[in-house]
Amino acid sequence: MKRIIAFLLAAVMLFSMAACSNQENTPNEQPETSAKTALTMGYTTEPEGLDPQRTAAASTFSVTNNIYDTLVSVTSDWEIIPRLAKEWNVSENGMEITFTLRDDVYFHNGRQMTAKDVEYSFNRLKDAESPKAKDYENIVKIEAVDDYNIKFTTETLDVELLKRFAYPWTAIVPEEAADNLKTAPVGTGAFKLKEWNPQQDLTLERNDNYFGEKAKLETVKLVLIPDATSMMASFQVGDLDIIPLTGDQVTMVENNDTYQVISEPMNAVQILSINTDNEILKNEKVRQAMAIAINKDEVIEASMFGYGDKIGSHLPPTSPDYYDTNDMIEYNPEKAKELLKEAGYENGFDINMTLPKNYQLHVDAGQVIADQLGKIGINVNIEIVEWGTWLSDVYTAKKFDTTVVGHTGRLDSYAFLARYKSDSNDYISLKTGEVDQLLSDALKELDENKRTEIYKQIQVILAEKLPAIYLQTPRTMLALQKDVQGMEIFPIDVYDFSTVSFAE
Amino acid sequence: MLRYVLDRVKSSVVVLLVVSIITFAVLMIIPGDPAQLILGTEATTEMVEELHAAMGLDRPLYQQYLGWLNDLLHLDMGTSYVYGESVKSLITGSLPVTLSISVFAMIIAVFFAFLFGMLSAIKKNSIIDYFSRSIMQLGTAIPSFWIGMVFIVYFGLKLKLFPVSGFVPFSDDFGGFIKSITLPSVVLAIGETGTLLRIVRSSMLDSLNQDYMDMAKVKGLGARKIYIKYALRGALIAPLTIIGMQFAKLAGGTVVVETIFSLPGLGRLVLGAVEHRDIVLLQGLVMFITAMVIFITLAVDVLIMFINPRIKSFQRGE
Repeated sequence: MKRIIAFLLAAVMLFSMAACSNQENTPNEQPETSAKTALTMGYTTEPEGLDPQRTAAASTFSVTNNIYDTLVSVTSDWEIIPRLAKEWNVSENGMEITFTLRDDVYFHNGRQMTAKDVEYSFNRLKDAESPKAKDYENIVKIEAVDDYNIKFTTETLDVELLKRFAYPWTAIVPEEAADNLKTAPVGTGAFKLKEWNPQQDLTLERNDNYFGEKAKLETVKLVLIPDATSMMASFQVGDLDIIPLTGDQVTMVENNDTYQVISEPMNAVQILSINTDNEILKNEKVRQAMAIAINKDEVIEASMFGYGDKIGSHLPPTSPDYYDTNDMIEYNPEKAKELLKEAGYENGFDINMTLPKNYQLHVDAGQVIADQLGKIGINVNIEIVEWGTWLSDVYTAKKFDTTVVGHTGRLDSYAFLARYKSDSNDYISLKTGEVDQLLSDALKELDENKRTEIYKQIQVILAEKLPAIYLQTPRTMLALQKDVQGMEIFPIDVYDFSTVSFAE
Repeated sequence: MLRYVLDRVKSSVVVLLVVSIITFAVLMIIPGDPAQLILGTEATTEMVEELHAAMGLDRPLYQQYLGWLNDLLHLDMGTSYVYGESVKSLITGSLPVTLSISVFAMIIAVFFAFLFGMLSAIKKNSIIDYFSRSIMQLGTAIPSFWIGMVFIVYFGLKLKLFPVSGFVPFSDDFGGFIKSITLPSVVLAIGETGTLLRIVRSSMLDSLNQDYMDMAKVKGLGARKIYIKYALRGALIAPLTIIGMQFAKLAGGTVVVETIFSLPGLGRLVLGAVEHRDIVLLQGLVMFITAMVIFITLAVDVLIMFINPRIKSFQRGE
């Protein structure tokens, strides 16, 4: 027994000595060179593999966008610019698009990229195992004209076709490496994967054979830190150069000279979706009453600490087709009570609200809304469910009265709004059919200005009919160490590290 | 002895089988579908159905289960569809993390629990007894996420003694390894020390009240010999069982501590597998953790038999 105790003592001593002995060389200081070339960024959600055609996870695309390239790119101002394609040509009738590819693009394995690879990648994107296949159903023919020209033909006219080639899931991949892209990605991008330790970190290194301007950073290390407080602590000690910020943390970094904060409205809308099949909620007056009983400023304050923009319809203010409908629905609880009375619910009623647990932003918003609706006599029972449950019960089975959720990530307004067709099988739709004709018109209208006009009408109808109550466009926020420059926020869920560098 | 171990191993196989069926059934019953989770909120019903079929999830349940079992018998735990990596390599990747912090936490917990447990039993109702009993209460009452945060902010951010997050593998840098696991281990140890201390104290008290203790005193043996050789030995059984249980619990992964300190351990892997409904990964993890728990309890039982031969003879039916 003496021996056991002696062993324990020794173990503890060794342990504390080891802990002490290392205090001298502080680990948080990196060797100072003239300009740093190793960037470290924190992230909260693990990528679901690094194969862009086998997942729909935003966490994957934010990484893969640096490893693979797409034919075209979107700038932070929503402009479509050349990437792998030098130029493109849309046929007279709008049903064919031909891209001319660069002739100086090589995959990370050294092989040159040609039109054959583009053809292969799009066929792969359209096959059964690809989550995004349905979005490209309309492309019926993919044809490599020669080595550097590729032609896509659609079945019906799609005026937003070009934008579909900017999404990160349309990345060009080499056939010979396709089976293992999830863990061993091979692309043409400005960075290559150096190392990935699932649950821990992922390191990218510069691709010195990149066709474009080479990245200034030598390595980018993404460190997985699921807890927001630990993330902030790591940032404050200087272990991380960039972190995503939550609203409550902004005050901790914004008035500090050693940090900078960048923020952009997300390309997303947070909405209170309403099940219009519900006996009470199908009454338009009831929905209007609810809409004006909700103080959206309070909702934004509670869920995003004020870092959000109020919306009145289903498009974010950043969208080129956005039309401001905020003045159509103004906060007025007194009038809300009157409307309820007119609708025959003077004494209020009970409804359920299902909230997705994994999204604190929606849960917080839902709780404030429940409180606000309570003030006009609507008694809201909140049920908080796990994301998987939300998707199967609310989104797919449509078993809900109300819910708060976000819709995100599309460049074309049609994709945002298509769910409101009366015959769409979606969890929310506008059953009365007022937007059906407008939506199919929008898809065929080649004139951009006329299209914007159609989308404006749709937004106005949605703001009137309220198949959902539109709350806000939350902001994406990043905190950066002072010396980080060139980091941008894009309208789709990607990061681009090729332009990032450190100040000297 | 060997027969006893063999019997236990045989029954473990049954336990594992039952556990695998239960996990599978639970995953089938709870709402949430992997295809749906992959596609998220921008998907239509047809898209979900197609992907569902492509992932092989539309096969009858028994076929899916038997397929998995068949692979397992061929020592293939399958491939996680979230990570695209084999379940085996994911487990071997996160096991060292969880084991390191569990072992360290238990060393700390055992040391303090025995030290203060014995002292407080020997000097019952003294200041040291009250002190250790308050520690015991505190340790059990403080939630680990809170103490973890406090440690990060104080030791990591303010004093910069330890890294605030992440894990440094043993082979990379020994000092870094020790530093990266110190805070999480201490947090875990705080949670376990209280319970263990209470058990040590009460078994020690029990043991001190035995007749043979009076005998030892009458014989004029020194205090150290009395307490350590006689009293402690008699008082070891209950704490050892508890230690085994505590270690098994920690080794199965500790979601809260792993999350706060961003450690890529088993707990986080389990959590991710559940959230993504990654059936293959979760089944593999549950099997592995169950097997580990069975092994640890078996090892503890064998150890106890060495310490207390009476149990061995009881097992033989004498």
